[in-house]
Amino acid sequence: MRALWMRWAALFGKRRSERLLSEEVEIHLEMRAAELRAEGVDAAAARERARRELGGVEQMKEAYRDRRGIPWIETLGKDAMYGLRGLRRNPGFAAAAVLSLALGIGANTAIFSFINTLMLRMLPVEKPEQLLSLYRTGGWGKGYASYPLYLEFRKHDDLFAGVLGRSGAGKVRFDAGHGNRLEYVQREFVTGNYFDVLGVKPAIGRLFTDEDDRTPQGHPLVVLSYDFWRNRLGMDSAVLGRVPMVDEQPLTVIGVAAPGFHGVEVENHADMWAPAMMNRADIMQPGNHWIWIVARRRPEVPMGRIQAASNIIMQQYLMSVYGRQRESAFGKWAMEQKIEVREAGVGISMLREAFGKPLAILMAAVGLVLLIACANVANLLIARGAARRREIAMRFSLGATRRRLVRQWLIESLMLALLGSVLGLAFAIWGERYMLLFLPPGAGEQFRVTPDGTVLGFTLGISVLSAMLFGLAPALRATSLDPAAALKAGGSQQPGRGARAGFRKALVVAQVALSVVLVGTAGLFAHSLAGLRAINPGFVARNVLTFSLDYPRAWKNADKEKHRERLLARLSALPGIAEVSYGVPGPYRGGSWSASIRVTGSARTAKEGVEIDEQGVGPAYFETIGARPLRGREFDAGDLRSTRKIAVVNETFVREFLPGIADPAGRILSFDDSKPEGGEPTYIVGVVRDILHDGLKTTAKSTVYVPYREGDVAFGPTLLVRAQLPAGALLPAIRRELRAVDPEVTLAEPRTLIERVDDSIFVDRAIATLSGFFGALALLLAAIGIYGVMAYAVARRTAEIGLRIALGAAPGKIRWMVLRDGLLPIGLGLAIGLPLSRAAGRVSASLLYGIKPGDPLALACTIAVLVATGVLAAFLPARRAAAVEPMEALRHE
Amino acid sequence: MSKRSAKADVLQGTLDLMVLRTLEAMGPQHGFGLAKRIQQISAGALDLNQGTLYPALLRLEQRGWIAPEWGASDSNRRAKFYALTKAGRKQIAREEDDWARTVALMERFLRAAE
Repeated sequence: MRALWMRWAALFGKRRSERLLSEEVEIHLEMRAAELRAEGVDAAAARERARRELGGVEQMKEAYRDRRGIPWIETLGKDAMYGLRGLRRNPGFAAAAVLSLALGIGANTAIFSFINTLMLRMLPVEKPEQLLSLYRTGGWGKGYASYPLYLEFRKHDDLFAGVLGRSGAGKVRFDAGHGNRLEYVQREFVTGNYFDVLGVKPAIGRLFTDEDDRTPQGHPLVVLSYDFWRNRLGMDSAVLGRVPMVDEQPLTVIGVAAPGFHGVEVENHADMWAPAMMNRADIMQPGNHWIWIVARRRPEVPMGRIQAASNIIMQQYLMSVYGRQRESAFGKWAMEQKIEVREAGVGISMLREAFGKPLAILMAAVGLVLLIACANVANLLIARGAARRREIAMRFSLGATRRRLVRQWLIESLMLALLGSVLGLAFAIWGERYMLLFLPPGAGEQFRVTPDGTVLGFTLGISVLSAMLFGLAPALRATSLDPAAALKAGGSQQPGRGARAGFRKALVVAQVALSVVLVGTAGLFAHSLAGLRAINPGFVARNVLTFSLDYPRAWKNADKEKHRERLLARLSALPGIAEVSYGVPGPYRGGSWSASIRVTGSARTAKEGVEIDEQGVGPAYFETIGARPLRGREFDAGDLRSTRKIAVVNETFVREFLPGIADPAGRILSFDDSKPEGGEPTYIVGVVRDILHDGLKTTAKSTVYVPYREGDVAFGPTLLVRAQLPAGALLPAIRRELRAVDPEVTLAEPRTLIERVDDSIFVDRAIATLSGFFGALALLLAAIGIYGVMAYAVARRTAEIGLRIALGAAPGKIRWMVLRDGLLPIGLGLAIGLPLSRAAGRVSASLLYGIKPGDPLALACTIAVLVATGVLAAFLPARRAAAVEPMEALRHE
Repeated sequence: MSKRSAKADVLQGTLDLMVLRTLEAMGPQHGFGLAKRIQQISAGALDLNQGTLYPALLRLEQRGWIAPEWGASDSNRRAKFYALTKAGRKQIAREEDDWARTVALMERFLRAAE
C-alpha cells in the first residue's frame, strides 16, 4: 500500500526525485574518489575507478526509475504520446479512421440511448424489479382497465404486496391563484396507496394515503412532482397549503414527491397527482376503461402462478359484469378481455409497444455499421503497418519486444477509438434530436433521451471493444516480420504481401456482405413505406390545418355550439382560407364511435342489427377535406337546425347494405336496432368515397356520417381549415380570431393534416429513414474500403501496369482489369450477403406493410446499388492505372 | 561449470537482509558507507555491484523498513542517510528465521547427497 502510494507520488514529483538520485550517486562517487585520493591515487584516476566500481550509472538509474514509478502507466503515457504524434504526422489517415469510427459509434450511441430510456432504465422507486403491469387486452383499447376490475385485483394480497391504479397524465388547465394567463399542466389521478406501494417518499410535506381516496369528490388534494415544484414554482416551500385551480377545481397542495420521480410511465410524465376519487367521470362504470393497474408482486409467488391466478380473477369479474349478455355479440366481445401480467420495473410505455421492435432492429443495424467501420479502420491500419515496416524493424533491432510493440499499436488503436467516440457522442446527441422529430407530439412531448452513466459506459465499452477488434489483427501482422529482411528491403512491402493483400480483400468482402444486409433491409422498409404513401386515403391532406378547442368546464353544449358557429364565420372570412368545418373524431385523431343499425330493405340487417362506424361532421366537411360526395349532397348549415334526421354513407356501406342500388339517396336506415324495420328513420342524402380516417393500414369499414351535435360523444370535435397556402402559416391569424371571439377558449393540438397522417405511420417513417441512412453509411464506408484496397493495389502494380502498356495493352483493357478486381469483392459480398439479408428481412417481416421479405424490387435495387458503388469506388484507381506512363513506371522500379 | 570466479553474485533477495542487518549493527548510514561495509563484512567474497544498492534502498524505503534523511557526513558534506525503522527490525527477525530454516534444509540435502 505504502509502496503504491510512493509510486503514485513519484509519478508527479518525477523531476525532483531524479535530481535527488543524481545527487546521491554523485555523493557516492565523490566519497569513494576521496578515499582513493587519500590512498595516493591521482584525482582523475580516482574518479574513474569510483565510477567503474559503481557500475553502469544509467542502467542503475533506469532500474531505480522502474522501481520508483508505476512503469506501465509511464510507458502507457509515452505510448499514447507517441501514438498522438504518429496520428498528427498522418492527419489524412487519422481523420479517415476517426470519422469512420465516430459514425459507427455515434449511430450506436444514439440508438442505444433510445433503448436505454425506453427499455432499460429502471424507475426511481423502491425495488422496481418487483413491479408488474396488469395489462388488459381485447375489448376496448389496450392497457387501461376499469375501476371495478382494479378493486377486484386489490383484494388479492396473497399474490401482491400492493396494487395501485393510475389514470395516465392528461393536460388540464392550471391557475396558481394569481388569475393571470392560462397555463396547462399534466395531471394524473392515482389511487391513495400509489406512493406507498411504489415506495416513493415526499421531498416536502406528505403524500397520499388510502384515507385521502375514500369518497367521490371528497378529497380536494394534490401532490406536486419535484420537477414541477422546482421549474415552475421555484422550490417555494410555502406552496404547502396553497389552493391552486387544477382543471378548474380548487385542490390543496399537501406535498412534493421525491426528486426524479415522474410517475410510472416512461414517455408521459405527470406534473401533479390527484386522488382517483376526484375524477369527475363516472369511475365505477365497468365500461369506463381509465385506470392502469400496477402491482408489486410478492417475491415468493412465481410469475406463472400470478398469471394463472389473474386469468381466474379476470374470468370471474367478466362473468359478474357481462355474464347475462354473454350470448349477444356485445357480450361475446366483452368476454374476450384478458389480463396480461408484465414486468413493469422499467416503467410502462405505449411507445415501447410501437417502437420497441423497430429499435431492436435498428440496434442490430448500427451494430453492423460499426463492424463495417472497424473493418475500414483495420484496413487503414494494415496499409499503415506496411508503410511503417521500416520503423517497426528498427525498433525491433533496438531491442523492443514484440509484446511491447503490439501494445503500442493497440494503444494507438484505442486512441483512435476514443477520439472517435468523443466525436461520436456529438453525432449521437445531434442524431437523437433528429430521431425525436419522428415521434408524434403525443408520444414525444415529454420523452427525453438523455445520455446517462449507462449510455456513456456503453459508448466507452464499444469503443474499447472496437479498438481491440480493428487493432489486434493489424498489430499482430505489422509486428510479425523479420527485422533484418525488412530493413534490407528498405521498408517496401515485399515479404508476405500476398497474405496481407488477401486479408485486406477478405475485410472488404466482409464489409460488402454486411452492407448488403443493411441496404437490403433498408430497401424493404423503403418499399414498404412507399406502399403506404401510395395508398389513397380518400381525402386530400394538402393545406388542411386541424386543431381542437378547449372550453372552460362550466360551458354548456349550447354555449359551445354558439361559440363554434361564430368562430367558423370569422375564420371563413379570413383571407387565404378556402373552407372551414369540423368532425368527430375527425381524421387521424384517434378514437372511434360505433353504433348498431338496421337498414330498411337490406337483407344484411333483416335478422339483427349490424355494428357500423359513426362519425359526426359539420357542414362542408367533405368539401374541406377534398372528398366531395360521389352522389347526392353533403350537409349544409340548414341541416343543423332541421329536425329531419339525415345521413351520408360511404361506398362500403352501400356495398354491404344496399348492393346494386345505383342511387341510395332517399333510402332509410335507423339507429334503433330493436325491431327489424327499425325505429325513427334517418334518410340517406349522399354517398362519399371510402375515407381512411384512422390509419393508412386500416381497411374501409361501413360508415354513417351524421350532422354533429355537441354532446353526442365524450370528446369534442376536430376543427378543419383548408387554406390556399400551406396551412401552418395561418395559425397566428386563427389564434387571433379565437381570442377575439372569446379569450377563455384556447386552441389545442394544432397539426396539419399531413402531419397527422405522418404521425400515424411514424414507426414506418422512422425505420425506413433511419435504416436508409444506416444503409447509405454502410455503403459509404464499404466504398472507402474498396477504394483504399484498389488504390493500394494499383500503386503496387504500377510497374507491372507500365510494362503491360509498354507491351501494347489498350487503356480500356487496363481499366477493365482494375475494375474487375474491384467488382470481385462486390460479387463475393453479394453472394454472402444476400442470404443474410433474406434472413434479416424475415426477422423484420412484421414491420413490413404489403410486401414480403423476399421482395424482388428491394432485391434488384440492392444488387444495383452495390454494383454501382463498387464501380464508383474502383473507377478512380482504374483511371489512374490506365493513365500510367510506361516509361515513368519502369524507371520508378 | 568453470571456476570463473570465486566471488559470489549477490543472491536475489539477500541484499535486502544484508542492508537491514548492517543498518542494525551500525546505525544510520549513507549509501556509500553501506556499500563499503557490506563489502568489508563479506571480506571480498561478494561481488557487489554497488549500483544495485540504490534500487534496493528504494525498495526497502517503499516497504517502510528503512527511512531516509538528508544529513551531514563525517567530512561534513550533505548525504542521504538511511535508518532502520521498527518495521525493518521486525523484518530482520522474520528473515533471520527464514534463513536459518533454509540453511538447515540445504545442509540436510547436502549431507544426504554425500
